[in-house]
Amino acid sequence: MGLLRDWNYIEKAVQIPALSEVIREALIRALFVRDDRVLPRDLIGDLNRVPPVTVKVKDDGEVRKLVRVLNGQESTVSLGLSAEDYHYFRTQLGVGRTREFGAVMRPRILLTYDWIVPEQRGVQLDFNGYAGIEFADDAHRAIAQVGATWKQLYDGAPAKGHAVPFVPTVPLDFAIGDALYGDAPFASYRGEFASHVNALRTISPFGHRARLGFEEVANNGTAYDLLHATVPLAAEFFIPVAVALRLEAKPAAGKTLTYAFDDGPKLAVALDKLSRTTQMPAWAHVTDAVAAKILRPAVAAEAFTVQVSVGGTTSGLAPKEKAIDTAMAGFKSKSAEVSNPFDVPADAFRKTADTVVRSLFVGEVRVPAKAVGDFITKIRALGDQSAAKAGVYASLRATGTVSTFPFFAAPKDRSKVYDLSKGVRAIASRIPGAAFTSRLAHLWEEEPNFMRRMAFLRSLKVTIDTAHVVQPLVSP
Amino acid sequence: MASLDYAYRRLVNTLGPERVARSEFERMVYSHDFASLPKIALLQWKLYPDFVALPQTTEEVAALVKLSDESLLQITPRGGGTGWYGGSVPNRGGVMIDMRKMNHVVAFDPDGRKVTVEAGVTWKDLEDFVESKGFALPVVPVNAIGSTVGGAINSGSSGFGAPRGGSLRDAIAFLKVVLPDGTILKTASEADADGHLANLTPLFFGAEGTLGVITEATLRVVAKPEASKAFAYAFPSLAAAARFVTDIVDSAIVPYHAAVASRDHFIFERALRPDSPDPADIAIVAVQGSKDEVADQERSVDVLAAKESGAKLAPAVTDPLWRDRYDNYSARRLSRGLVTSYNLVPVGRLPEAVETAIEIRDKLKLNGAVQAFLVDSTTAALVPYVLMDDTRPSGGTALGFVKRMGDAAFKMDGHSMGLGLFLVFNLRKMHGRATSFISSVKVVFDPRKKINGGKTLEVWTKYPWPGLRAIPPPGMAVGLEIAAVLRRAKPTRDRFVRAYEHGKEE
Ligand SMILES: Cc1cc2nc3c(=O)[nH]c(=O)nc-3n(C[C@H](O)[C@H](O)[C@H](O)COP(=O)(O)OP(=O)(O)OC[C@H]3O[C@@H](n4cnc5c(N)ncnc54)[C@H](O)[C@@H]3O)c2cc1C
Repeated sequence: MGLLRDWNYIEKAVQIPALSEVIREALIRALFVRDDRVLPRDLIGDLNRVPPVTVKVKDDGEVRKLVRVLNGQESTVSLGLSAEDYHYFRTQLGVGRTREFGAVMRPRILLTYDWIVPEQRGVQLDFNGYAGIEFADDAHRAIAQVGATWKQLYDGAPAKGHAVPFVPTVPLDFAIGDALYGDAPFASYRGEFASHVNALRTISPFGHRARLGFEEVANNGTAYDLLHATVPLAAEFFIPVAVALRLEAKPAAGKTLTYAFDDGPKLAVALDKLSRTTQMPAWAHVTDAVAAKILRPAVAAEAFTVQVSVGGTTSGLAPKEKAIDTAMAGFKSKSAEVSNPFDVPADAFRKTADTVVRSLFVGEVRVPAKAVGDFITKIRALGDQSAAKAGVYASLRATGTVSTFPFFAAPKDRSKVYDLSKGVRAIASRIPGAAFTSRLAHLWEEEPNFMRRMAFLRSLKVTIDTAHVVQPLVSP
Repeated sequence: MASLDYAYRRLVNTLGPERVARSEFERMVYSHDFASLPKIALLQWKLYPDFVALPQTTEEVAALVKLSDESLLQITPRGGGTGWYGGSVPNRGGVMIDMRKMNHVVAFDPDGRKVTVEAGVTWKDLEDFVESKGFALPVVPVNAIGSTVGGAINSGSSGFGAPRGGSLRDAIAFLKVVLPDGTILKTASEADADGHLANLTPLFFGAEGTLGVITEATLRVVAKPEASKAFAYAFPSLAAAARFVTDIVDSAIVPYHAAVASRDHFIFERALRPDSPDPADIAIVAVQGSKDEVADQERSVDVLAAKESGAKLAPAVTDPLWRDRYDNYSARRLSRGLVTSYNLVPVGRLPEAVETAIEIRDKLKLNGAVQAFLVDSTTAALVPYVLMDDTRPSGGTALGFVKRMGDAAFKMDGHSMGLGLFLVFNLRKMHGRATSFISSVKVVFDPRKKINGGKTLEVWTKYPWPGLRAIPPPGMAVGLEIAAVLRRAKPTRDRFVRAYEHGKEE
């Protein structure tokens, strides 16, 4: 979300003679926290400006029209607004002046923080009302409009004979589109969100409907797989309006197995071992005691809890459970009775989500399973040093990587977010094989290969969006 | 453009004389891939490379790519040359980079579960290596024996293990690539960052050698299964076998592999190997897991097969079938040549798809067989092949089959796979309005179109003159459609295998 724009802004800023004295990291901090001791007031004023117009999208035709207005193909008259709205729209956007303005998609919920450089003069698109889901009858697929919530999809699928394989590692009430223009951490045990995406329905920067990928089948052998190269940043290249999702058949039987561990090393060994088996649970999630208390306030929190969701044929469940029990050796107790955060009524899910979202999140750190215990201990120590009690939500992948989301009990002010992010980065950098993937981490990274890759993505963006309407890049 | 002799000297200075070839014979070997091409194609393209270079290191590949700035010769990367649509065949001569000398395992990291190999390693060699270390590959392309790691990635291949292991794209941790400007790039972060930290790997998945030369790939490996088993069934019809595969998906069973092959395929096999299975429409399924799980999956699959009147084959029949799974085009020996059509179709439409393939084959009076396998919970690969003899005047018309099959796949909400030299006209059918987005990728990476130019996105000819430099992709479609029409008008069916004809007449 806003990654290329933020990155481009920083890249340009460090080239400005007046700012070239400031080291990159200090500049990022100053921009992130809006530090008026380092930056000119005008600049901060610009950064604090938010898009003046928000359009609540009901139909993708409106988006097409809007894009054509923003890129200058059509006049504002074609929006068919009332005289009053028309006047408001034009003055707010500054139409008629030699300014560029773009469209930006507003996430339903942000887990971490919004961009450094918000869209300054354009239109914010709110897709909350564009939220239909179409399940296929003859295949395990669904087309979800970006405003549809994940919970809506998850709850609607079984009645049609499907199962939704991906779940949010941090259970917030995300919209599906939040994975494209926000930071929703959807994933399954077998793969990341992108691996469940067959196609995106988008509006191109020229206002055309353009489908990326294939709604009914996989996108293999059709020249460059632009779809999967852009999924996490899709909304910086085009305006995604619906996602064609690859689902699975609803298994005849399913179970959530809950294992408690009393120390990190045992947990790490068990997760590593599970990922080295041929087991394919739907998902395997980990919470430390702090996260467990938030998710399940009524249950006594163990040091670590692992929940594994398995499905299969009725007769196949027992051998699977046995194999998972063996891999998880070292657990203190096991239960099949503890509910999971997802299979609860929508109200209860939202209620929990409202509590979860209050914590301060800094983004995802991916660590090898073997290092997860060590990582959590260090995160806790960081929390203690920063007077912000820390906890972790995490999920295991078949690759042996654990996707962790550290959080802190602290007010979400930008300085705190920045400092804790830096602390988390320092921890991640000391764990071999770990990667911190937050937006700030992208901005800090200076490894030459990474910088070139980002430059390629930026070139690709400006080549696709020659009209500069989809989150256009801005310079200081 | 520098003279060819000068270009040759520069190449020899870079690699040494023993790794640069320019003899007529050697160049001829590289003038086609697995598909047989009618001679008439030489009118349109310069299919023979001017030189063949065999680099051994990434730096040598980079030097070769930089040299093309002086010589202005096109570069064509090539792995095993087993592709079907001319991706690894030159269209304007130039320098062919044969990657097969870069065939070493660079590193193996059992802790991180990754293996780094040079791009010219074949999948079978890689699989053997990984298994010798107690691990397995999540996906193995169907043509594991001939195809190289770089070639399969550039083809967007799928294959064995995909229903469980996922896409080959996701099995790639990162690639080392020589870009068209001769610089070297790692396509993703070394740590497993999913799609973050600017992951460009997917752009190379299916790129058909048009974005750069992959020199190394770091791939994920998975645990070797505790138990695995393959079982096969003979069905009363191919559609029944296909229904059985869709039932497997609907039952939420995730096999390692599930495939069908038509009776014709086994007739061809029988003509070559008397010990091959009795011809029938056969489905083969392989499962993995703990011993108990494998037994349970076998029981569940047996029940599904029985529903479609599938008769289970004895292990003595199934085991060799599974053992020889990478060898599925021996029928080529019956006719000298073979044309394959590779398509993806929705799983739910597989029964219709296999019947359509048979219909098209019969309409075009071709000899051929239908194969299909499961890719994921929504997708099946439909891979029929037909026999052809490209030395006969009518031989080339068999290529019309690929066009008709592709059209049928699009009609069934799927798509054909691979564009290369002949099927570029499918690009717009595949991507519609998003075609311009896709084309932007080439513009960004290779603005001067140095690497495999004039393919995948456009069709160059061998002629440098304006007006003739390229042909509009729909022109190729018309050509292949004419081939199909001629084929249909041919009064007699091909007769490569007598027994096969008996089968048809029964
Ligand atoms: C028996 C058989 C079965 C097959 N089954 C399948 C299948 O299931 N799925 C499938 O997708 N295909 C299949 N194919 C087609 C083909 O084998 C695959 O696409 C194969 O992976 C190509 O590998 P190769 O090394 O032979 O590549 P080549 O044919 O040499 O090249 C293929 C493309 O990749 C490019 N290329 C090769 N190496 C590099 C490199 N190092 N860097 C950059 N570009 C490179 C070439 O320029 C060309 O465009 C099959 C072919 C046969 C003969």
